[in-house]
Amino acid sequence: MVSKKKKKYSSGEGAQFMTRKAALKKLQLSLKDFRRICILKGIYPREPRNRKRAQKGAGGIKTLYHTKDIKFLLHEPIIWKLRELKVYQQKIRRARAMREYKTMKKYLRDHPQINIDHIVKERYPTFVDALRDLDDCLTLCFLFSTFPSLKKVPRDQSMLCRRLTVEFMHAVIAAKALRKVFVSIKGYYYQVELEGQTITWIVPHHFSFQPQSKDEVDFKIMSTFVDFYTMMLGFVNFKLYHSLNLVYPPKLTSAFSADTDKDLIDEHVYVAERIAAMNMSLSRVEGANDAEELPEMDIFNTEDEDPQKLEEAKLEAEKVKKLKTMFKGLKFFINREVPREPLVFIIRCFGGEVSWDRDHFVGATFDESDESIAYHIVDRPSMDKQYLSRYYVQPQWVFDSVNARTLLPINQYLMGAVLPPHLSPFVDKTKDQVYIPPEERALNDPDFKPLDGNESGTDIEEASDEDKDDEEEADSEEDGDAEAALAKQYQQEVEEDSDSDEDDSVDPEKKKLAKEKKKAMAVTTGVPHKEHPYQKEIEDKQAFRLREKLVRKKHRNLYKSMKAGQEKRKKEIWLLRKKRRLHDEKVKEDKKAEKRKQKVQALEASA
Amino acid sequence: MSVVKKKKRVSKKNKKAWGKYSDIRDVEEFLEDQRLEERLGKFETKPDSELFVVDTGGDKAPEKKEGEDVKPLSRKLQKRAKLKEVPKCFEVLLPTSKVQDPNAKRNKVNPIGSKPTALSKLTRQRQAKKGALEKKLVEAKKNRKMAIDKKRKEKKVRQNFNLDLWGGDSPEVKGIPATLVDEFISPEAQLHNVLPTQRLRPKPPLAKTVVTRAAVETPHPGVSYNPSYKEHQELLQQVGAHEEKMMKKEAHLMRVTTGMFRRITQQEKENQWREEMSAGLPQPHNPADDPESDTDNEYKAINPPVKNKKKDHKARRKQKEQLAEKERLKREKIDKKKITDIYKLRQLRSSLRTREQKQSEERSKRAEKRAAAEATALPTLSAHKTPVKEPDFVDPKQLSGDLRNIKSTTNLLRDRFESLQRRGALAASKIMMKKKRKLKSYFKPGHKVTEKDIEKYVTRSAGKK
Repeated sequence: MVSKKKKKYSSGEGAQFMTRKAALKKLQLSLKDFRRICILKGIYPREPRNRKRAQKGAGGIKTLYHTKDIKFLLHEPIIWKLRELKVYQQKIRRARAMREYKTMKKYLRDHPQINIDHIVKERYPTFVDALRDLDDCLTLCFLFSTFPSLKKVPRDQSMLCRRLTVEFMHAVIAAKALRKVFVSIKGYYYQVELEGQTITWIVPHHFSFQPQSKDEVDFKIMSTFVDFYTMMLGFVNFKLYHSLNLVYPPKLTSAFSADTDKDLIDEHVYVAERIAAMNMSLSRVEGANDAEELPEMDIFNTEDEDPQKLEEAKLEAEKVKKLKTMFKGLKFFINREVPREPLVFIIRCFGGEVSWDRDHFVGATFDESDESIAYHIVDRPSMDKQYLSRYYVQPQWVFDSVNARTLLPINQYLMGAVLPPHLSPFVDKTKDQVYIPPEERALNDPDFKPLDGNESGTDIEEASDEDKDDEEEADSEEDGDAEAALAKQYQQEVEEDSDSDEDDSVDPEKKKLAKEKKKAMAVTTGVPHKEHPYQKEIEDKQAFRLREKLVRKKHRNLYKSMKAGQEKRKKEIWLLRKKRRLHDEKVKEDKKAEKRKQKVQALEASA
Repeated sequence: MSVVKKKKRVSKKNKKAWGKYSDIRDVEEFLEDQRLEERLGKFETKPDSELFVVDTGGDKAPEKKEGEDVKPLSRKLQKRAKLKEVPKCFEVLLPTSKVQDPNAKRNKVNPIGSKPTALSKLTRQRQAKKGALEKKLVEAKKNRKMAIDKKRKEKKVRQNFNLDLWGGDSPEVKGIPATLVDEFISPEAQLHNVLPTQRLRPKPPLAKTVVTRAAVETPHPGVSYNPSYKEHQELLQQVGAHEEKMMKKEAHLMRVTTGMFRRITQQEKENQWREEMSAGLPQPHNPADDPESDTDNEYKAINPPVKNKKKDHKARRKQKEQLAEKERLKREKIDKKKITDIYKLRQLRSSLRTREQKQSEERSKRAEKRAAAEATALPTLSAHKTPVKEPDFVDPKQLSGDLRNIKSTTNLLRDRFESLQRRGALAASKIMMKKKRKLKSYFKPGHKVTEKDIEKYVTRSAGKK
């Protein structure tokens, strides 16, 4: 007997895939419902290795799904709900057609809703899984929270998005989890670190609503995505609030009393508005201790003991700890023209207190006239009334300070000043072998001092004299502009003010230096063993070479190419530095020559 | 059975024993009769007509009358007739007993869904007027409201999120249905209704592109609202390069499609057509361009016959010798080369080695390139093309450097939508806009009202007056 002939495509790639049409038939769903359930369950179309075979010999490009995925969907109880919903829709349609509006209204009122929380749990078995996938969720929720009611979007969706995003921001504030901010033309990029996961999302700028053109985006699909994401964000919020010992749904602390100014009768709305204002802390669960200090980082003896890496990690932790309390005890006032929400969010994340104009938004806690305000954030060139007790800074100062992880000196960010560029914190730090011009280095690292500035002072006395002359001349030129002079004077005053502040920070360093010098002067007992530094260097090098020899043959080529790359980059940096130095010197020379020429001319003229 | 048995002493201690040895048949028969009477009615009270029938036909079967011809019912009517009948399956439920209802004044309860009768409506109205139903009405209203509120509240549960999904031991998390979360339901019963936590079919792993590709890509530093000059220039360079690439592609397409065909005027086209269409048609005789007119009138075939001219022996020999000589020379050359190649071995080896090295290098390079392309390749999930990510372009004129005057040109929603497509979470699609149906309006032939009709109508109505 000849065995039965195997049918084509009954095994292998032909059997693994299924077209969308076949899937619809198998699940007995309409395309609309199928799309919805696929998005909710996280089932996506697949790309086959061999399309011809996967499509069972059919040409063209069809949307394919894994057969296993579809079989997985087959078990979902929601499918039954969707089928029931279809019948319900038919009832509504019938009632409308029969002009039985009363029954139609009743049907609409009792419209069943599908519960999808088990799907959230199924797709994200652990909390960390959910956090890892929060990027897209947050971006879409923040985006939808700005939308008005649209045709294809459920009416309450944007309101729900707004509520959830505000709650999430509160959780970030309480956890002090914000790490990086970047203001791009697209919107605000935020990066937070929650439970060891970095989450990045985009918040659009606060414009009035821009109409979306219909033919670009399928609103229905995006709305379904948001449907799932709101569910997920809700449960994430709940979990976050619980882990932070906060009450969920959020409530304000008892210190806040609603009696002070009762413009709104509805208590719920009143509280919701105050919560959306974000400048008050939420109430905690009773019995939870407020001050939770993270313990010092433990050091484990890992297998590849790299002391440098450990040191780096420790330094990073220290920096983050400092960042968390950067604005603690500082009072900020936000002027009308500054975007309120992002700034409040950022400042509150690092422990600052914020308020704004009472007419600007609800929830202002203190007035502009409050003398204890430390920073007044303005985004306009000048102001009529200014208080001496505070600094008037531009909003970029806040963003840059967060990215630099310290309070930056404000002199570059004062009101009306031309701002330094807002650099991205998202650049790859591993690519450190690049040339950084001295200006940028000064920006990034406050301790860095450009060498040529000092050199000019010590080089030649003549030159320095000339430089001083130059400055004086510049001053006299500027005197013509009365306004500019005034502004400058003000700036100088402010700078002096800030200097006095900075003195405190500088003083300990000086003291340290003095102490060290003193120590150096003291008589110490002689040390018998004397290590030859040069000798040691040579030995180290030799040891290093020996270790290089031990690199496995498998990795040798890689190591070599790595080394070659390093050398090459080093050389490039060196070359660029040299170029810069030569250029600077040349410029200086030219300047000097010009000065000399002018002097000679002046002498000749006088003579 | 009147056989007298020998008397035997038996115990009639308890009820069972009493029943066993005492004859109660007459009592039971009597009771059975009574029950039967109750069920079927008393025999004596029944009229004769119910009990007896006068047999007039005798043994013959009753015949149909000839005059009446009974039409068979249509299928529809048959069905309708059947509607009135009680279904067979429910006959069991109907009471068969003739026992009278002990409650003589039982309230009649209308089945659910039956319409109120005219009378009941009237009584209801009367009662409402009297104020007897007021309390009931109020209560009904309250109940209705409560039910609606309950439903609404249930609906809102979706938005309350008062459940620790990743918490662990709470019943909701375990998957116990909410209806079974109650203190008096045993844990066994609860657990019985739980879906198996480990599904029968685990979720297949997601596609690689969905998992590995970042949802929110780190932005280029040049898209800052106040970028540094260098970074912004870099971004512009990128945008420029991208644009140039696109332009090149477009130009190529143009060249390959539209540009490939030469253009001709309408007149030329017409001429061409005329020429093509008249090909092979007999031309009017023109002696000027007749080529045969100059030659003599000798006949000449177009394809003269081929002559099979044989080679003679000498020629064949010569050819053979030539071939042999050629072969010999070739052999000689090869032999010579063999000797020289021995001395060339090292060179050969080195050349081979370099060639191999070069090939392997190229191979690895190709593999690398392929891997890099694969890592960033856009998934083809549908017949439509997945949109390529375009670099964010910031017009230098629009860069004001302060937050107040930011102008955004990008559509974040579209960006998200395309990002989903690029990650392979959505198949690329083209939105089909619904065309508005154009309704053609026309009059039914008989209903058309023309000017003439109107005139006619007016004159007629004027005449009536």
